[in-house]
Amino acid sequence: MVGSSLGGFLSGSILAGTPLLYATLGEVISERAGMINLGLEGVMLMGAVVGFSTTVNTGNAVLGVFAAALAGALFNMVFGFLVIGRRANQLASGLALMFCGVGLSALLGAPYIGSQIKGLNEIRIPFLSDIPAIGTILFHYDILVYLVVPMAILVWWALFHTRWGLSLRAVGENPAAAFAAGKNPYLLQYQALFIAGLLGGIAGADLSLAVARTWAEWMTAGRGFVAVALVIFSKWHPLRAIAGALLFGGAIALQLQMQARGLPVSPFLLDMLPYLLSLGVLAAWGGVRRHAAPASLGRVFQGTE
Amino acid sequence: MDKKGSSIVLGFLVILFSLIMAAVFNLTGVASAQPKLKVGILHIGSIADAGYNQAHAEGVQAMKKNLPNVELIEIENIPEGADAERVMENMIRQGAKLIIPASFGYLDPALRVAKKYPDIKFEHPGGYKLASNLGTYWASTPEAFYLMGIAAGKTTKTNKLGYVVALPISFFLANVNAFHLGAQSVNPKVETRVVFTGTFLDPGKEATAANALLDQGIDVLGVIVDSPITVVQAAEKRAAFSVGYHYIGVQKFAPKGWISGIAFTWGELYTRFAKQVMEGTWKSEALLGNLASDYLTIAPFGPAVPADAIKLVNVKKQEFISGKLNVFQGPIKDNKGVERVKAGEAFPIAAIGKMDWLVEGVIGQAK
Amino acid sequence: MGLTDQRATGAFYFRREWWVRPIRFIGLFGLAFLVFAMVLLAFGKSPVKAYVDIFSSTLGSTYGFSEILVKMIPLTLTAVAVAVPSRIWLINVGGEGQLYIGALFATWGALTFNTLPAWLLLPFISVLGFLGGGLWASISGILRAKGWVSETISTLLLNYVAILLVNFFVFGPWKDPESANYPQTAEFVNAATLPAVGGTRVHLGFVFAIAALILFYFFLSRTRWGLEMRAIGGNPEAARRNGIPISGYIILLMFIGGGLAGLAGMSEVSAIQGRLRPSLSPGYGFIGFLISWMAGGNPLGIVAAAFLLAIVTASGDILQMTHGLPGSAVNILNALILFVVLSRQGRKRGVKW
Repeated sequence: MVGSSLGGFLSGSILAGTPLLYATLGEVISERAGMINLGLEGVMLMGAVVGFSTTVNTGNAVLGVFAAALAGALFNMVFGFLVIGRRANQLASGLALMFCGVGLSALLGAPYIGSQIKGLNEIRIPFLSDIPAIGTILFHYDILVYLVVPMAILVWWALFHTRWGLSLRAVGENPAAAFAAGKNPYLLQYQALFIAGLLGGIAGADLSLAVARTWAEWMTAGRGFVAVALVIFSKWHPLRAIAGALLFGGAIALQLQMQARGLPVSPFLLDMLPYLLSLGVLAAWGGVRRHAAPASLGRVFQGTE
Repeated sequence: MDKKGSSIVLGFLVILFSLIMAAVFNLTGVASAQPKLKVGILHIGSIADAGYNQAHAEGVQAMKKNLPNVELIEIENIPEGADAERVMENMIRQGAKLIIPASFGYLDPALRVAKKYPDIKFEHPGGYKLASNLGTYWASTPEAFYLMGIAAGKTTKTNKLGYVVALPISFFLANVNAFHLGAQSVNPKVETRVVFTGTFLDPGKEATAANALLDQGIDVLGVIVDSPITVVQAAEKRAAFSVGYHYIGVQKFAPKGWISGIAFTWGELYTRFAKQVMEGTWKSEALLGNLASDYLTIAPFGPAVPADAIKLVNVKKQEFISGKLNVFQGPIKDNKGVERVKAGEAFPIAAIGKMDWLVEGVIGQAK
Repeated sequence: MGLTDQRATGAFYFRREWWVRPIRFIGLFGLAFLVFAMVLLAFGKSPVKAYVDIFSSTLGSTYGFSEILVKMIPLTLTAVAVAVPSRIWLINVGGEGQLYIGALFATWGALTFNTLPAWLLLPFISVLGFLGGGLWASISGILRAKGWVSETISTLLLNYVAILLVNFFVFGPWKDPESANYPQTAEFVNAATLPAVGGTRVHLGFVFAIAALILFYFFLSRTRWGLEMRAIGGNPEAARRNGIPISGYIILLMFIGGGLAGLAGMSEVSAIQGRLRPSLSPGYGFIGFLISWMAGGNPLGIVAAAFLLAIVTASGDILQMTHGLPGSAVNILNALILFVVLSRQGRKRGVKW
């Protein structure tokens, strides 16, 4: 019984945490490049609606995921245009993007409410899925769940072990220095946003194609903002984000799991923990070492004006 | 900005100005032929949700079909709270004489608007307060849930049943209690677990809740949220059985595991309301239907339900209608051990609004 | 803040007349409306009729206009809540949370002291509302003043904590026993309800809003404190060396900003909702942030922007009722307006966030 409890809780966290992790990875990339995107919620919604509608129209959920990723990336380019091209305030631009995403996804998704899809199927790995207990917990998911941790590792490797990643992080820390060293901050930032948009779109698609298999207006229900908080909690590091997503996803899953078990706990107090922990971690860190965040996060590179 | 840019700006100014002028002089178009009655309905969600909202929407569509000179003003996705009042006012300004604020949380705003417009009639589903021009209506669902429990109790293989519920509102608690009592009556070994998502619609959370319950070995999932799609699909995906709610067409989401469901078929009731308003015979009352009413329907049974269960359901249904059987027949203890209904007594259906406990055998938090 | 216009961009450029900036804004809005019209066309709806409906339903009747004012009250307050700290370049994205905590404190007062007469209870819960929001924001202020956490991040995170805290009370200890176990508090007594004027829903909260605007303008431009704030805003290091207590100002301005948002929460729960529910605010805190940034922190600009956004937001119902569009579609128009303003702002502004 205990085994199945833990297993149930873990699988719940993994399922709930996967879309969070994709979105967080995307946001880590854009924040490492110096841009905070509060419009992640809108990007996820665009991914969810495009993914869902594509799947309804083509019957192919994998195609839906690709379409969703592309939609997210293109939508994020609007943010890029504002923030990089026009040097607008990032927070306001992000919020505006969010509103746009909410409205546009509602408009596009209206004809698809109540539609049925098969969604992403569970993939069983021949030997591993049959291991008792562990097999059930770890190997009964759809493709997006299997890919999310490799994706996190990929993002980590790209950010910290490639020249591109180094340049990107340099732009996030000190764009003037990066520019002086011959990098093109604008191009790098657009690239970062494109990739972030791909990941955000996939996160949305995961929600509508794998977790809930349906479309509803504003179905992300704030998960985009949770992802922004998650980036902070993970201290802008993709691998720590895995633990963070599991924790945040776990918080969502935990209170539902505890209810299913009949354990009295206030879901709200429980849900507060991740945010309070993030704050606590930052405050403690900030007291010792000031710059946990990329130094130029939020600032806008002025070029040679 | 150069010359070209500034002329574009000027162009927009002109367009904007003329639109404002048009608004000020109110050139909104010709009035069409006046219908006999305009009915306004507010939905909290989407009318295609295969659930709560779609049931109401199909109800007013049926009303429109029955009464061709009724015009409908329908508006979706209105959050409960300040906006609802404004929307109702706008409907009244557009000429609506009957307003159906179709969500529990619209009651307060509706009462406020009702006070302001004494000759507009309001019908609120599930409300617990009346006004001289605001009536409430609902179908008492516990009996139907009891029947669902019977079907579930006879279909389950693991003797574990589960419910994904939006909020621990009394009506929903009563439904779950009735479900469990019904299941218990045919299968004393059953237990029912309840998980509350905290909101009327959040597919992500509903999926997580459904899976959390299924992880516990539950093989019959019921759902009380606005749209049953997510939970029913989650059950079907994991080869569990499902019980639907609100809408009669949910079976298509679970062809194999469908047990049955409780559907609201409001069409005839709304037709009656409209007729009463048109003929001036409308009065405010707290209408509570039951299994005999034409707006509470048991959905067709799925392939997995054993034939003797279906027979039993129909027998019990008649017993409820004839008054022979009572859902909350004492003795009943709640899941904390407190006796709630004494032996020989019955919890009156009309007092459901005060039920804030879960029956023994149901695992979950009522508060 | 004067207009810094573009150099070498062509023959015709705007001069620094007072009417230039508003006209420029109206032109920008026109662009946004045009793009939205194209979106409408793409979905088969008539833009002209839609816009006529939008304006006539909001501006064409007293009721419609009064509803705009009703929406403007919380929007103005949350906008000034952002504008005040922005004077020393503090970024307050926590208006939503501060609003909720203000409502929370006010609710506590209204429920606990429900036998007091209105002339005592209303000022009391107003003060509570201000206090609640202010204290919540000061957490971020203190964290920033000590150099530990950027206020952008802390105010953002605390939004969620605030909403969860309100949920906790509304679902738990403060749940109304008369409401069939529905998550809402008991109804406020009349003495705790901000009165409305003239049969409309325009309530005394507008006094708060106007007072906030006037005081903001007055303090900033005509007092010594305003001078010091502008000094900090201009050159923090020089200000510090001149003995201006920057940390103190950080905490104070966050407190005031949060307090104003808290007042917005208090007035919403007292005058409009009548009880505390989880769905208190449809994002007023965030929209207020956007308004403040659109207006550059300028009081008149805030009123204008709040006015415009209130019109657009309120018109969602009409679009749905008469044009069959999802009500959420107006968010696109709001977003377009913001986009066009933001895309011009960057070039004008220069270095700061």
